[in-house]
Amino acid sequence: MIEITIDGQTVSVEPGTTLLKAARAAGIEIPTLCAHEGLPPEGNCRLCSVEVTERGKTRLAMSCMYPANRDGLVVRTDTDRVRTARRFVLQMLADRNPKAPALRSLCEEYGVTPSAPEGVEPELCIRCGRCVRACETNGTNALSFAGRGWEREVTPPFHEASEDCIGCLSCAEVCPTGRITWEEKGRKRSIWGRAFDMVECERCHDRYATLEQLRFTGTDPETARLCPRCRKTLQQGRIRLGNREL
Amino acid sequence: MRLTDPKALDEWRARIEAKENARASVPRVRVCAGTGCLANGSARVKSAFEAEASARGLAVPVDFTAESTGCHGFCERGPLVVIEPGEILYEKVKPGDVPEIFEKTILNGEIVSRLQYRDPNTKKPARTSGEIPFYARQHRLVLEHCGEVNPFEIADAVGRGAYRGLGKALSLEPGTIVSMIRESGLRGRGGGGFPTGAKWESAMKASGRHRFVIANGDEGDPGAFMDRSLMEGDPHSILEGMLIGAYAIGARKGFIYVRAEYPLAVKALQEAIRQAKERGLLGRNILGSGFDFDLEVCRGGGAFVCGESSALMASIEGRAGEPRVKYIRSTERGLWNCPTVLNNVETWANVPRIVLNGPGWFRSLGTEKSPGTKIFSLVGKVKNSGLVEIPMGTTLRTMIEDIGGGVLKNRVFKAVQTGGPSGGCLPADALDLPVDFDRLTDSGSMMGSGGMIVMDERTCMVDLARYFIDFLVEESCGKCTPCREGLKALQRILHDLCSGKGRPGDGTRLREIGEALADTALCGLGQTAPNPVLSVLRYFPEEIAEHESEGFCRAGACRGMYWPEIDPEKCVGCGACAKACGTGAIRGSSRNPHVVDRALCVTCGACLEACPFSAIRPVRRENPA
Repeated sequence: MIEITIDGQTVSVEPGTTLLKAARAAGIEIPTLCAHEGLPPEGNCRLCSVEVTERGKTRLAMSCMYPANRDGLVVRTDTDRVRTARRFVLQMLADRNPKAPALRSLCEEYGVTPSAPEGVEPELCIRCGRCVRACETNGTNALSFAGRGWEREVTPPFHEASEDCIGCLSCAEVCPTGRITWEEKGRKRSIWGRAFDMVECERCHDRYATLEQLRFTGTDPETARLCPRCRKTLQQGRIRLGNREL
Repeated sequence: MRLTDPKALDEWRARIEAKENARASVPRVRVCAGTGCLANGSARVKSAFEAEASARGLAVPVDFTAESTGCHGFCERGPLVVIEPGEILYEKVKPGDVPEIFEKTILNGEIVSRLQYRDPNTKKPARTSGEIPFYARQHRLVLEHCGEVNPFEIADAVGRGAYRGLGKALSLEPGTIVSMIRESGLRGRGGGGFPTGAKWESAMKASGRHRFVIANGDEGDPGAFMDRSLMEGDPHSILEGMLIGAYAIGARKGFIYVRAEYPLAVKALQEAIRQAKERGLLGRNILGSGFDFDLEVCRGGGAFVCGESSALMASIEGRAGEPRVKYIRSTERGLWNCPTVLNNVETWANVPRIVLNGPGWFRSLGTEKSPGTKIFSLVGKVKNSGLVEIPMGTTLRTMIEDIGGGVLKNRVFKAVQTGGPSGGCLPADALDLPVDFDRLTDSGSMMGSGGMIVMDERTCMVDLARYFIDFLVEESCGKCTPCREGLKALQRILHDLCSGKGRPGDGTRLREIGEALADTALCGLGQTAPNPVLSVLRYFPEEIAEHESEGFCRAGACRGMYWPEIDPEKCVGCGACAKACGTGAIRGSSRNPHVVDRALCVTCGACLEACPFSAIRPVRRENPA
């Protein structure tokens, strides 16, 4: 374990812990957009900046990726430089598309007013790439960034419905702005220009997954008759009720 | 023939040198086949020499090493031809000049004076390249063999001393070589200026099953061609540097990442690698030392950001060329997460020379903090443009006035832009600034890879910032918010300023966005991207202010933001402006002062450019557009 200082508070952490984790564990809040607990960090939204002093040098660093590797590291999360940097990032994002609720509340907190209420484009995407990383982490790799710079956008390859997509909604789940939308009608779910057949749980009738999802995870059809929740309930029941057939 | 030990290499070199000496007195023609000269038609000149020799059925052996001799660096004057013996230099040679050159120079040793270079100021002709101020004030260390060796013939390079540094390095301990590089003070020539020795040491000490060395040849700055000329002209010096580096840090595999738009460089490097392998200078058990090393050429995908080290590595790995956050250095976790040393091709080419001559020798060149030389591509409104290699610490004035011959058309110098799109503009006050890494950075510009663009009073500094920001908006990968959105925000303001739509406060907004962008962007491209804007704000605030609140462009570059006005005192009535004018807005009789009819003028600026007497100047409009 090593000892670092965050906003005057001494914190003891495993070497390699990111400053974001260390700060949150100490109850110090740092705003984030592209960071997500379940995904590898990428440090691209640049909102979670903090000031780090190491070996006498102070610099602005992204707390979601900066590893605490040295005793005596000093971190400050609320300096003028940090606030200016965060306000700048929020301003840039809000000027383009100010309507995402997550962005709005942060803007309010930091006193940032979008330069136009409608922004530049109707979409809600802030290019944080959580969806892309979620899809990569799943192993499906159906989503990626296309285009460069200002033109950068999230899309399945070539703007076509992707054969690799399994309709699992991981991308929508991790999206901080609500940019990724989907539809469910009857036993069909559509997302990213593709429709998927839903599988219904025989017990609770929840349409809990797509056929492609079950295929991708290699779930056998017998198991798939019940949704994970019902499976668990019954399994727990089995244990509780001993030999009794269910 | 495979060389099995350093002695065999020395013996081979001795044989080549003996052969060279034997034919030193025999006439020989060298035609430059660098990209600049090729574009000017040097291939036709070369064929003309060949045809002429065979037509004359000359018994005089004319040795054409001119498959290519790489770049002389004096590209503006191409095609360049050198005649041996005597190293007589001719410029702008056309196929039609060849018979005369044969008759006079090759057969009779006379000079064809009309093909000689003349100093633009003194009109004095120069017999050899050494007499031209452009070359005389330079110190060609890395470019030493460019233009003299045939890059497609390893024997040529070996005859000039290639791989001597490797021979010596293999007799030393790896740690000794790293210390030598550290003591030499060599810093990264790609622009960052990071101490090369420290990089090597860190990679050497890092743990990893594999280690890699990479040469960065992804030169992407508009107007820059130093790396290209080096790769095209002397590929073996890069190979040798990488071999030494790999031996020092314990790498067995290296990559040379070359911009795809440099087909000749790719060809030269691939051929150099093939020939080096054939001779046992690459591959297994190099010169019998037990050291194995192999090299691969990777072609870039055409993105400027791939010159950034982590994006370059991503590109080699086959992923999208985007930078990653580098809180852990690539010397610890670089290519495929292995310790990696990435240096610019020019940095690598310095290595063999340092190993051979010692760190003390290297330190005797340049300045204390930036030893050695640096290659610049001197372009823009300067009389002599081309490649320039100078000791660090040479002043901008020497570069522009002595080597560059001063500003074109003897106009007034306004600014010099250094460091490429992410560099900055320095004003006339800064001309006595000695050029080294730290001085340039302190003055708000940077060394970059060595681009140097000279501008005169006809360049609008706001428009220039707009040009570079346009380039960077195009080339930003878009991964991080500040670079993606911030550059676009700067672009909007600059476009407004350059089209007469500036608003009060634009200058302040540019500064705020620029400073925040530099502080928050993810990679080197983004962090330096606002430099063009910030340096204009620092050195030319009056131009920003005039664009912002008066709708006036003093350079006469932004359309609709000035009127051209002819000074009757200076106008001699030559009519050059009227001829250049596309709308017939300039009237006047011969030898009498002309006038501009504002009703017809579209402010295209052609008259300003055309006037040989600087009699036309931009004036403010009463009601700006």
